[in-house]
Amino acid sequence: MIVFKNLTKTYRGIKAVDNLSLQIPRGSIFGFIGPNGAGKTTTIKMMTGVLRPTSGSIRIDGFDIAREPFQVKKIIGLIPDRPFLYEKLSGTEFLWFKGGLYGMDRIRLDEEIPHLLNTFELTEWGDELIESYSHGMKQRLIIASALIHRPKVIIVDEPMVALDPRGAKLVKDLFKDKASKGVTVFMSTHTLALAQEVCQHIAIVDKGRIVASGTPKDLEKQAGVKGDLESIFLALTAGTTKA
Amino acid sequence: MSTFTLLIAPRFLGFRNSLRKSKGRGNAKILALCVGGLVFWAVLFFLFYKVLTYFSSQEMIGDILARHLLAMVILVFFSMLIFSHIVTALSNLYLSQDLELFHSSPATFTEIFLSRSFYTLIDSSWMLIVFGLPVIMAYGVVYHANLAYYLSLIYVSLPLMIIAASLGILVIMVLVRFFPAQRARDIIFFLSIIVIIVLYLLFRFLRPERLVDPDSFVSIAQYLGALKAPDSPYLPSHWATDLLWTRLAGYPGSQVLNHLLLWSTALALMVIDIWMAGLIYFKGFSRAQEAKRRSHVGRKILEKTVSALTRPLGPDTSSLIAKEVRTFFRDNSQWSQLLLLGALVVVYLYNFSVLPLERSPIKSVYLQNALSFLNIGLAGFVISALSARFIFPAVSSEGNAFWIILSSPLSARRFLWSKYVAYLIPMVILAEVLIIYTNYLLRVTTFMMVVSSATIFLLVFGIVALGVGLGAVYPNFKHENIAQVATSFGGMIYMISSSVFIALVIVLEAGPVYTILSAHFRGEVITRLQWVWIMGSFIVVIVVLIVAVKKPMAAGLKSLNRYEG
Repeated sequence: MIVFKNLTKTYRGIKAVDNLSLQIPRGSIFGFIGPNGAGKTTTIKMMTGVLRPTSGSIRIDGFDIAREPFQVKKIIGLIPDRPFLYEKLSGTEFLWFKGGLYGMDRIRLDEEIPHLLNTFELTEWGDELIESYSHGMKQRLIIASALIHRPKVIIVDEPMVALDPRGAKLVKDLFKDKASKGVTVFMSTHTLALAQEVCQHIAIVDKGRIVASGTPKDLEKQAGVKGDLESIFLALTAGTTKA
Repeated sequence: MSTFTLLIAPRFLGFRNSLRKSKGRGNAKILALCVGGLVFWAVLFFLFYKVLTYFSSQEMIGDILARHLLAMVILVFFSMLIFSHIVTALSNLYLSQDLELFHSSPATFTEIFLSRSFYTLIDSSWMLIVFGLPVIMAYGVVYHANLAYYLSLIYVSLPLMIIAASLGILVIMVLVRFFPAQRARDIIFFLSIIVIIVLYLLFRFLRPERLVDPDSFVSIAQYLGALKAPDSPYLPSHWATDLLWTRLAGYPGSQVLNHLLLWSTALALMVIDIWMAGLIYFKGFSRAQEAKRRSHVGRKILEKTVSALTRPLGPDTSSLIAKEVRTFFRDNSQWSQLLLLGALVVVYLYNFSVLPLERSPIKSVYLQNALSFLNIGLAGFVISALSARFIFPAVSSEGNAFWIILSSPLSARRFLWSKYVAYLIPMVILAEVLIIYTNYLLRVTTFMMVVSSATIFLLVFGIVALGVGLGAVYPNFKHENIAQVATSFGGMIYMISSSVFIALVIVLEAGPVYTILSAHFRGEVITRLQWVWIMGSFIVVIVVLIVAVKKPMAAGLKSLNRYEG
């Protein structure tokens, strides 16, 4: 579903993403983990067409993001780590706006918006301006807006930031449910317990390069460490982090 | 380092760092800004120098007119300073993001209040000081003022600024005490009333229309009397005018009373502000932090209007335009600026309504049509100024939320043209209202009415395209306050481009319009060659217009396509 081929992004001579190649199957939850500054957000920005790769390519559902950006954007839903929104719109208006950008008509939006507000427990806040929302409510609204056009791929950067345990469970269940219906979830996260719990495939990235990838079992073998993902992560990134 | 110094340090450190960091293009921007500012400064100086030289050559009333003009300038500056402080204080004292950090620190409320008041004073005063200087300098040069005059500028302007700041801050503290700062719509409603009152008082004090119409006075003594009484002796601006004029004209006699009045008022108001801050500032700030429920006033009207206007468009374009309209009308900073500009439009129309056309030595019908033609340019500049504030920042107004557009399937082209359409319609309506209403006041010919309405209609297409396009070429998505975008380097480039565009169209049309009008009034026949020239000029106008729409939009599109967030 998602194919990275020799993906590289250079900023002023520094490689933020270095020759990254990956294949992510349809209907899987993929964990993209790494320390700060590893190139996770840069990769996500390239996947969503916000940044252009210096070289290499990304294909999502067969479309190349550099050549067919609009085809790709139509089928992805982005959940960024920081909930920057239009503070002067109400939650409902924001969902209308987001649906409109994806060409959804009024009939579909009339059905979809109340359903999403209900799923994310925002119904009673739907008519309030976003500026009065808490951090967690904004995050839930962003997730709702990313799902409004029923994307085939959900790209998510730190999904649990600001979510309370109830919200976090809601999101985990939602990702599992979506994956079971064929939606691919690409998830960048620091929360190793989350990656361990929901991801079928994981890539550990450091300094722009993939240091290990595969199922959690494969990672154990590559790291030569038995145990939880935290131990594997620390073992695989120890050398580079010290350096 | 004292707590007060610490609290004001971030602003200065930030300013210093941004100067240090600016290299290459950054330095070029600073240089261009300085050059632009100096040119404006020089033009203002030259204008006042010419006017004052003319005044000084007039016996008897020359000095009276010059003093009157000085009183008007100081009164206008003083009024603008008060209003500017009201608007800036709302943000600096109640809404800024860094206030949370300040209030959670061990600094006292008084220290926080004083530091934020200092910010307000600097933010509100610097531009007026910079652009007030050429006027004051022109007076100094024309009246051969000595060093004492230039020194007096410091001890006269400082208390005047403190008085304006204290009054502005006092007004905002009282307003926020009764209305939470976040519900600034209510506050701004009160502010608009204040602006209207200030404008009304200003006009009542100055009555400029009477001064160009000496016939309305029974005697010369009465006319001179009117000139001598432009302001009230109870106003600080009057004390400042007296002080400066005494230095300028070299009148003997002490000005101790005016000095005492200025400084004692400034210090007394400062004490009152600090005392009032102790009583009500924190209560107001605290209320500003509370989450509020949404106001339902006017909501239905806005919803219905937005829905009706965007229904015929595609879902993506209509979503974008609806979002644009909603966020605009809910943004306090936009509203306050809109009111200020609304007041300018009222003054603009008022000036036309009091023109004494019947008493002009030039034949009235010529004057009316000439004024109507020049009015196209004036209205163009008004629209251009409005666009600099509202349309040029339209792309930047997406702010940190621009990721939503970037990651959506909406193309940059559609995004940019949606912005264009959203702003074009209100601007066309406003421009036509300005032109048609002033033409009605001027009682112009049908030909002039058609020419000016059509020209302004076409001009707006270019002015809006320049605003949207150049706004995309120079975007700032990381601004703290959208008003900063309009005063940036790109904003200056926009104002220059827009002015050149308007001037070019006016110059191209001037000859043909004059030829047609002259032929009409003199009963002459326009020759075939003249017709060719007239048609040629209008075709060039159309070409200029097409270039003014296409080029900036194409440049904006290119810039957005290259943008990497």
